[in-house]
Amino acid sequence: MKKKLMVVDDSRIMELQICKLLEDSDFEVVAYCENGEEAIARYAEIQPDVVTMDIIMPGIDGLETAQVLLEEYPEAKILMVSSLAYEDTIQEADRIGTRGFLYKPLSREKLIEALENTLA
Amino acid sequence: MDRALPREDLRTLLDQVTREITQREAGIILDAAELSRDGPEDETCTVYTSFDRGMDTSLSLRADTSMFVRLARGMMQTEDLTPEDVEEVAKEYFNVLCGHVLSRLFQVTRLPARFSVPSFCRGRHVMEDNEDYIILNYIGDQNEWVQLIHHTPCGTGCC
Repeated sequence: MKKKLMVVDDSRIMELQICKLLEDSDFEVVAYCENGEEAIARYAEIQPDVVTMDIIMPGIDGLETAQVLLEEYPEAKILMVSSLAYEDTIQEADRIGTRGFLYKPLSREKLIEALENTLA
Repeated sequence: MDRALPREDLRTLLDQVTREITQREAGIILDAAELSRDGPEDETCTVYTSFDRGMDTSLSLRADTSMFVRLARGMMQTEDLTPEDVEEVAKEYFNVLCGHVLSRLFQVTRLPARFSVPSFCRGRHVMEDNEDYIILNYIGDQNEWVQLIHHTPCGTGCC
């Protein structure tokens, strides 16, 4: 059975790209949330195996969203996906308890590897 | 930003990131162009954002609409595009470009700056109260015109 992926990103283009990159893989995008508030509201309903989380979004950013999700659902497996990948941000994501950090732009190979590592 | 990094170094960094990201995201090769160009407003679009958390500056990229359409075709791998698709792709492309700019600047300045969600408009976007600029002009490999402008606002010591 395919692993359920929830994409949190204000760009619909990213959701389309991730769907295309994951064609014929063991992962399937089952939900798309365009901001942090929506992700927090829908997480329990979706119960994804893994979440990809952008950082720069309107409203609460991806790091704050990840923190809220992990406080409410400590079992949540979150992969940060952002172009904003400097030490400070990566360390903050690590401190919050996210499982990995993937640097945009994405490739199929790197995305699948990162998702597998997030679930490991 | 350009007080933390020598102006020429900042110009070089902006140039490298713009060329790299444009080629990686859409396969468009940019060459430096000597002169700016002022074409009809309705044939160009602009994406722009501002930086904060220690970097009180902003960045905008204005280009021929055809360049953004080509970018969208490359990123979405389809010819069937709506104006909304082109806008979304332009903002995502600029999001990646800005993230890479700030990530590389962090290596020098150690400032954990962020940028706001990019905005998009048809024609030119005029930044208010900006006096200090770095302007980079490019020509794409299908003759598209592209201009990147780094703005430092008046009142931060530039005037």
